[in-house]
Amino acid sequence: MNVLSSRPDGPAAEPFTRLPCLHLDGIVKRFPGVLALKGVTLDLQAGEVHAICGENGAGKSTLMKVISGQLSPDEGCITYLGEKRTFKSVNDAERMGIAIIHQELNLVPHLSVAENVYLAREPVTLGFINRRKMVSDTQHCLNRLAVNIDPMMLVKKLSVAQQQMVEIAKALSLNAKVLILDEPTSSLTETETAQLFGIIKELKVQGVGMLYISHRLDEMQHIVDRVTVMRDGSHVSTRPFCETSVDQIVADMVGRSLDEKFPPRTSVPTQKVLLKVNNFGRKGAFQSINFELRKGEILGFAGLMGAGRTEIARAIFGADSIDTGSLELQGQTLSIKTPQDAIRHGVAYLSEDRKSDGLALKMSLASNITLANMDAVCNAFGFIKFKEEEAAAHKYIKSLGIRTPSTHQVTRLLSGGNQQKVVIGKWLFRDSKILFFDEPTRGIDVGAKYAIYELMDTLAAQGIGVVLISSELPELLGMSDRILVFHEGRLTAELEARDTSQEEIMHFASGYTQ
Amino acid sequence: MSDLSISKQSEPGGVGSVNKERRRELLQKFGALASLFALVIVFATTSQAFLSMGNGMSVALQVTSIAFLGLGATAVIITGGIDLSVGSVLALAGVADALAIKAGASIPLGILVGLTVGGLCGAINGLFITRLKLPPFIATLGMMLVARGFALRLTDAQPVSGLGQGFATLGNGTLFRIESMGDDGFPNVIFPGIPYPVVIMIVLAVGLWLVLSRTRLGRHIYAVGSNAEAARLSGVNVARVTLFTYVLSGVLAGLTGCVLMSRLVTAQPNEGVMYELDAIASAVIGGTSLSGGIGSVSGTVIGAFTIGILRNGLNMLGVSSFTQQIIIGVVILLTVCIDQLRNRKS
Repeated sequence: MNVLSSRPDGPAAEPFTRLPCLHLDGIVKRFPGVLALKGVTLDLQAGEVHAICGENGAGKSTLMKVISGQLSPDEGCITYLGEKRTFKSVNDAERMGIAIIHQELNLVPHLSVAENVYLAREPVTLGFINRRKMVSDTQHCLNRLAVNIDPMMLVKKLSVAQQQMVEIAKALSLNAKVLILDEPTSSLTETETAQLFGIIKELKVQGVGMLYISHRLDEMQHIVDRVTVMRDGSHVSTRPFCETSVDQIVADMVGRSLDEKFPPRTSVPTQKVLLKVNNFGRKGAFQSINFELRKGEILGFAGLMGAGRTEIARAIFGADSIDTGSLELQGQTLSIKTPQDAIRHGVAYLSEDRKSDGLALKMSLASNITLANMDAVCNAFGFIKFKEEEAAAHKYIKSLGIRTPSTHQVTRLLSGGNQQKVVIGKWLFRDSKILFFDEPTRGIDVGAKYAIYELMDTLAAQGIGVVLISSELPELLGMSDRILVFHEGRLTAELEARDTSQEEIMHFASGYTQ
Repeated sequence: MSDLSISKQSEPGGVGSVNKERRRELLQKFGALASLFALVIVFATTSQAFLSMGNGMSVALQVTSIAFLGLGATAVIITGGIDLSVGSVLALAGVADALAIKAGASIPLGILVGLTVGGLCGAINGLFITRLKLPPFIATLGMMLVARGFALRLTDAQPVSGLGQGFATLGNGTLFRIESMGDDGFPNVIFPGIPYPVVIMIVLAVGLWLVLSRTRLGRHIYAVGSNAEAARLSGVNVARVTLFTYVLSGVLAGLTGCVLMSRLVTAQPNEGVMYELDAIASAVIGGTSLSGGIGSVSGTVIGAFTIGILRNGLNMLGVSSFTQQIIIGVVILLTVCIDQLRNRKS
């Protein structure tokens, strides 16, 4: 794509010699309490592979949803093939030739390849599906990709890579001019990835513009023409790939300054090993994980999406099973098979998604706080001592600063930060020795964040081992003593927080070995 | 722990909303109760016999079977499940009770057999649901057919009769019956007494109310229905709690079977068809949410009485049973619609 690399980057000073096939201007998208996209500008040429990079939460997915019609922007405009457009739905965007291939493939497993490709727009003759036409058209699309898949095959019998080819074939059948690929290689083997890249190159020749979202910077050199970096919902830079470097991209991605406020660390990690994880492994999630958590320490878990951090924490907590490995708690080998076992041994896990698996949202604040430790507020016959439950709830409302009108407030009605504090209160009430905080500050405001940081420090000072799983590098650097970096289910680095940098962490996290 | 400084931001869920939530809850409780009273007033003005002591007791007696099953259904539905098998299980349990007595067992032992059979059916439901992860709808649908089939096979579809006068006590006996001997030599009934089933219903309702609202087990039942994964990750034994509710539902179905057969003094293998729907309806009219996590004993009792009084009152007005079905169906639809609208607003 010489046209592109020869063209200087930045706002177009001179008129385009050739119209971009897609142009976004000042796209703003608001969610309740969050500004997800802060005026993003982006253009895509026909026949170009344009990579979009950014940390988790940088706004990539939101932007793709705006382009593919899943979300409508609050401000800004989309120019597609020279005309201003608003896409009202995915179907609307698809009809115009914009197709998105999600990381989680959206195929119906019990239908055939052809039925999937033409789902909801089956060729019809006299009200009946014209199967012959559907199959031959599908075959034609598959031929264009030069892949050997039988259009009559049921999708559930195909490999993940083949299913992805079917998704691409579907996009071709839509006559797509813009194709969005969201982490397309995340579940592919090396050969399959090579095959996919072959197809991408083929599509380039056919003039399809592609937006390529990936965490794998190492792979991009094979196919990418230009790279746009996003951060915190804003456009940071767009450069031709040949004029940039992985270091530059990483620097743009993490460019956030460390001036975010963190409380001074009062806790001092000891050398006493609290938890030892030996050769932990679970098929398809993580393998050969070895690390130690020390008393009074905050241990950071860094990694990009799919690195396996949450999976490891859940396995230690007994929420998911493991295939290999063992756990030692203060020198004693443990058998943790269920969360009950883990809780009994003083291990607590504050889940990443507090709504789906942290809180019983229909229940009151008090009920949620005591849920993991009902024994403490029940008499010998299992009757709840409501006075003590009230007292416990009041204690944590006060010490955690939970803003709520009463202990009976249904947790669904609390704000995100307060909900998170309720979850934390639940585990503090349990007197846990080891606490896993999985993205504890996601979606909560700055004030509440600071309170949670302070709390983590206080807990560590009390001799509790704290594990902080976070996608926010400043947070990891600001709060942790040591940082473990994961990449695709493997531990790639163990770093001292005071001696490392965002760039170094990001290098190990993207699997790009220096 | 140190007090943590918190920024004073305005947040959703302030003081106003909790009052709103409470008011809404009260309104619903009160609304259900008010419509029940409205029904009573309507029937009392249209039918003279409706508001008599005798009819009151007979309504209460008729309501018992819906209430027994409804209480079990409430526990099951709060966990997010459903039990379609209770109508059949009550028939099987009643038949087992009668056959045991025919075979020479004492009356209490016969009842124990009935309760055990009910509990076993419930346990099988619960195990299929918790161990083999069958959807509750399917597991209990299967049990509905299997239990009915067994009841019919065991009796060759014939009623089991000749069970003796003692067998009738559970269903027909009363507490505090007061009579005086009349001049004509026949006793005059001063107070008809409280039928045993009504006494049992009161005891069970109070008992389950205590369990659901005051105990750890009850809290766990709500937690499982509100968010099973959160409950599991908080150390709740989700499988055991779920299993308990199905066993409870089964035992209560067994009890219903024993009581119904005792009232008829015959074991009818065809008894209880569609009763599961009355049970579910009473829970739903009482505000139990089919998606789990919400429900109460008081609501279900109100729901059971609403259905019972509607039937009784309409009978007295001479409304045909077909029209009754239509009316009760509409009542269920309306209640759930109001519930949905209420939820959508929040």
